[in-house]
Amino acid sequence: MDRRNFFKLVGTASGGALTGACGKQAQELIPLLVPATEIVPGAEEWHPSVCSSCAAGCGTIVRVMQAERKIEVEGETVRQPIAAIKKIEGNPLDPVSGGRLCARGQAAVQGLYHPDRLTGPRRRAGARGSGDFELVDWETALSEVAAVLAGVDRRRIVYLTSAGMGTGSATAARFLDSIGAPPATTIGVNDFTVERRASQLAFGWDGLPVYEIQDATYVLSIGADFLGGWASPVFYSRRFGHMRRGRPGIRGKLVHAESRFSQTAWSADRWLPVAPGGEHALAMAIGHVIVSDKLRESDQAGESLRQAFVATDFSAACKASGLEEKRIRDVARELASSMSPLVLAGASIVRPGSSRAVTAANELNLLLGNIGAKGGVMPPASLPGGLTAERPAYRPLEEQIGKAEVVMIDGVNPLYAAPWLAGSLAKVELVISFAGFLDDSAAHADWILPDHHELEASAGVIPLMSPTPALTGAPAFVKPLHETRATPDVLVDLARRLDAAIEPVTLDSAYASLHGQGTDEESTPADFIDQARRQGGWWERERPADAHRTRTEPLGDWDPPVSDPAYPFAFQPYPTLQFGFGGESHLPWLQQLPDPASSAVWNLPVEVDPATAEQLDVRNGDTLRVISPSGELEAPVYVNPAAIPGVVSMPIGQGHGTFGRYASGQGANPLSIVDPVPEQETGVPAFGATRVRLEKGTTKQRLVQYAAVDRQPHPHR
Amino acid sequence: MSEQLVPVSEIQSTDDNVPRWGMAIDLDRCTGCEACVVACHVENNIPVATEDEAAMGRSSHWIRIDRYYEGTFPDIKVKYRPVLCQQCDDAPCEPVCPVYATYQNAEGLNVQVYNRCVGTRYCANNCPYQVRVFNWFDPEWPEPLELQLNPDVSVRPGGVMEKCTFCVQRIQRGKLDAQAEDRKVGDGDIQPACVQGCPAEAMAFGDLTDPESKVSQWAGVGRSTQLLGELGTKPKVFYLEKSD
Repeated sequence: MDRRNFFKLVGTASGGALTGACGKQAQELIPLLVPATEIVPGAEEWHPSVCSSCAAGCGTIVRVMQAERKIEVEGETVRQPIAAIKKIEGNPLDPVSGGRLCARGQAAVQGLYHPDRLTGPRRRAGARGSGDFELVDWETALSEVAAVLAGVDRRRIVYLTSAGMGTGSATAARFLDSIGAPPATTIGVNDFTVERRASQLAFGWDGLPVYEIQDATYVLSIGADFLGGWASPVFYSRRFGHMRRGRPGIRGKLVHAESRFSQTAWSADRWLPVAPGGEHALAMAIGHVIVSDKLRESDQAGESLRQAFVATDFSAACKASGLEEKRIRDVARELASSMSPLVLAGASIVRPGSSRAVTAANELNLLLGNIGAKGGVMPPASLPGGLTAERPAYRPLEEQIGKAEVVMIDGVNPLYAAPWLAGSLAKVELVISFAGFLDDSAAHADWILPDHHELEASAGVIPLMSPTPALTGAPAFVKPLHETRATPDVLVDLARRLDAAIEPVTLDSAYASLHGQGTDEESTPADFIDQARRQGGWWERERPADAHRTRTEPLGDWDPPVSDPAYPFAFQPYPTLQFGFGGESHLPWLQQLPDPASSAVWNLPVEVDPATAEQLDVRNGDTLRVISPSGELEAPVYVNPAAIPGVVSMPIGQGHGTFGRYASGQGANPLSIVDPVPEQETGVPAFGATRVRLEKGTTKQRLVQYAAVDRQPHPHR
Repeated sequence: MSEQLVPVSEIQSTDDNVPRWGMAIDLDRCTGCEACVVACHVENNIPVATEDEAAMGRSSHWIRIDRYYEGTFPDIKVKYRPVLCQQCDDAPCEPVCPVYATYQNAEGLNVQVYNRCVGTRYCANNCPYQVRVFNWFDPEWPEPLELQLNPDVSVRPGGVMEKCTFCVQRIQRGKLDAQAEDRKVGDGDIQPACVQGCPAEAMAFGDLTDPESKVSQWAGVGRSTQLLGELGTKPKVFYLEKSD
């Protein structure tokens, strides 16, 4: 779908699909016997939407065609024509997706038509966690939930939500404010609290920096698997492609430092296998070389910052990073001598010192003088109007939940992604879930008030990062399949029942608030909203100003390497490109997608290096027991030839207790054995700080690998 | 990977007005993210292989990412590439089919006729790229998952061989659109699902007989190679190798 055809075919927002906006080819179903080359496509419409599989907020376009749904009417099965969604693609007008979409976004349509979706509100009928619920009608559910909420101390309501921002989070903020409850909080995992804090510390910016890798000539990325499971993979993959081969005669170079051979590492020209937690020391060592050897002039770095890098003990930093001194010197020189150098920083795996590490890496850009420059770092594009102000932020949860009377869970699955909260959550009097599936957390709720699927709801989303201010919009265009309700509507209803009437933040009201805020607005408010609805969002054309301030206070030292004879291995659970933090494990297309590292399908292995495997006498597919001070799990082993010796990695995504037929009971959750040490600057759980020991497993686990080469005996054995 | 044996300039059409569809994949852009794999699943009604079926080697993918580790830690690299039907001009799969269920059409597509296939699997056996997939089972779409199925693409029953079609339904649509608007199909008007979705914009599709097309331009650069080209299969998928 290109721009021309998209504009030609797109229907008007809420007018309903298949009402004649297309009118091209005849509508007819395709019989099996028509030769493929003679197929006449049926009528189709394309509608703008937005992907909610992660917080990136990619603008999409959605193909809608007629289909027949089987339903029961008075005991008989009848076929009901409906407008069905057939395909999701990137919206070519959207500055984040640019018409492209990742594996998770492509597969999202299976969530809409998943056979195990919750079909209506449910009240717990058995013990918590048993999954025993009874179906009730919405009036019963809302009146009973409102009755309970009316009787509790509202200050002791905890509203758990994701890092996603937009009309949904804004409505939730209004709801909580109106009833006297504290603001919503994220769960501290996958919410980019560390990166936000580091952006604040390094540049004084409120939000994630935008890295202009497409115009850079040399990119050093530290800690962020930006082509895999971190932040906004489509946005950065597009930019990566352009960096590599989009400029005649210029090929940008990528050097990637991470403690895992990730998607970004294998796409890079060189991988620096930094020790877990050694990212901070690496950044300091690189900065030390740049400043001490006077490799680059820059007026963006203050004297105190330069002195901090000069004062770094280079040898000690190299040792802590786990890399050779020569290698670090070479990278520093290449970086500083390149025409447009850039350092991209993040924490795919959060450790206790991650904020400081990301800050130090970001500050290398100040030494390189590339803030606001072509191929450098740009400030976050904040949206005019009030939506951005209501961003859900992380607050330490265990204490809050320990005192809570009510916990409301919206858009996250804390018992999977933050299983250390299970104990405190079990003591809460009332747990309300808005999940569309019976997931790990919903199974422990007292009430489930299922939300629409994202493709059925109207919503405006502020992308996690965008080159310019953006509000990407998804008007509703197909009827909900089940008796679900949009969570913002439920919150408005509950507020009314609690005598705290609120207006929801709708997509149209959000668009209306943006009218006149941009640089090229000459339309009437109605035309402005109509245009935004048609094209799938509002995107400012101009970049924000690049004002920044640099930190003056010293940032402190890096964490010393940890050793513990009882637990000799560092353990790093990592987000995957197919499941993220486990949110898409219920989709069968993603379950059968070969894992990039191991080519495993349906189960995910624990990855160890060949020498460790030899010591333990295990081979691909044997079972390994991974034991931490907090717990243990068993999983099949994958002998990863690129694993750092002494570092055990495990992809996140399997090990759901309950999450539909395709994910329930499948494999093990690496986060279940994590020690939730708080990250030092932000308090979020540092899930990458656990140490483990390994033993041969006792259970029989299956490792199914797709690639034929992986089914052969490994050359390292 | 061989030297390029069939230069793109030698790919000829039998008729000036008939295109020869081809693809070029820039491995220097590709990140191996598998967006193409899922895009293909969605577009082409690819069935889901259960864990048991996958364990028996019955997974269905029309496009896959092959990856090979090279070297040892810490100087380790990985070579990876998306592999799909190479739409060979001299396709080894074609002459072995006893019922003519697979043949080369005028536009160079290696076509599979599902309702003619009797499932001998000779074609898969003869394909050096291992890109043909046999339906060992009838596909299962528990209700209402079937609502997503693309009506432009047949759902293949058990016992039938299937493979990448270059999204022939999209080619057909592109030609019909152009015909309805009384114009020629423009370069880039037709994009298979994998090409359309690729986040790194690493894939190009188009007419190899048009020297101005993006695919011809890409296929003609010095980094361009063909997979197992030395076998003489004359693939119409070109890979642009990584280089510094």
